[in-house]
Amino acid sequence: MTGTLDTNVRVELYREFVETGRPPSASHLAEMMGKPAADIRAAMERLAAGKAIVLQPESREILMANPLCAVPTPHLVRAGTRSFFGSCVWDAMGVMAMLKTDATLETSCPCCGESMAIGVRDGQPAPDPGLIHFAIPARRWWEDIVFT
Amino acid sequence: MLLFRGEEHIDRWCSQWRQARGATLTIDQAWRLARAWYGNKMETHWRRHTLDETEALLNELGLTGSFWNLRG
Repeated sequence: MTGTLDTNVRVELYREFVETGRPPSASHLAEMMGKPAADIRAAMERLAAGKAIVLQPESREILMANPLCAVPTPHLVRAGTRSFFGSCVWDAMGVMAMLKTDATLETSCPCCGESMAIGVRDGQPAPDPGLIHFAIPARRWWEDIVFT
Repeated sequence: MLLFRGEEHIDRWCSQWRQARGATLTIDQAWRLARAWYGNKMETHWRRHTLDETEALLNELGLTGSFWNLRG
């Protein structure tokens, strides 16, 4: 049942990513789940085709387990002793929403470089005068998700 | 999606980088969208929103107009 395997791979890779702050490799997932690496890689490809995750173009390891990003970005989320990157500021807010814990998003205004932060306490963001700009119309987000 | 200090900072950045002005969300709108979009992504029962569900969500948050039109 590929559907069940795909769900298990998705849940396991997110659990590991959140626990360690780093995305698990396909081989590490295979080891943890006691499955052949080829099966895990096939599941990851299906998850990517279904736009649940984004894989790196050559290695086919995880680039984004949206909203988590595997590579450093200007959108850092700190939650307790853990820290994570979001691909964009909205994804970083998504990280805070997904973790369901108090957290702070640190970034800076792209125009002037002034540091900015959004804190979430008890499930609510602190009042902030900042505005989030979406440059790409919604229907085109997945034409190039890395650019978006 | 980037966080700016205000409208004039968005205008200046768009002009500097020759980017068309897109849409702006308040922190509260973005937070509500983020919670609806990603809140259960780690859960077993997560699935992608359908087009209809996404449209309903955007409408609920007041995100209407051509920028948010998913069927163009």
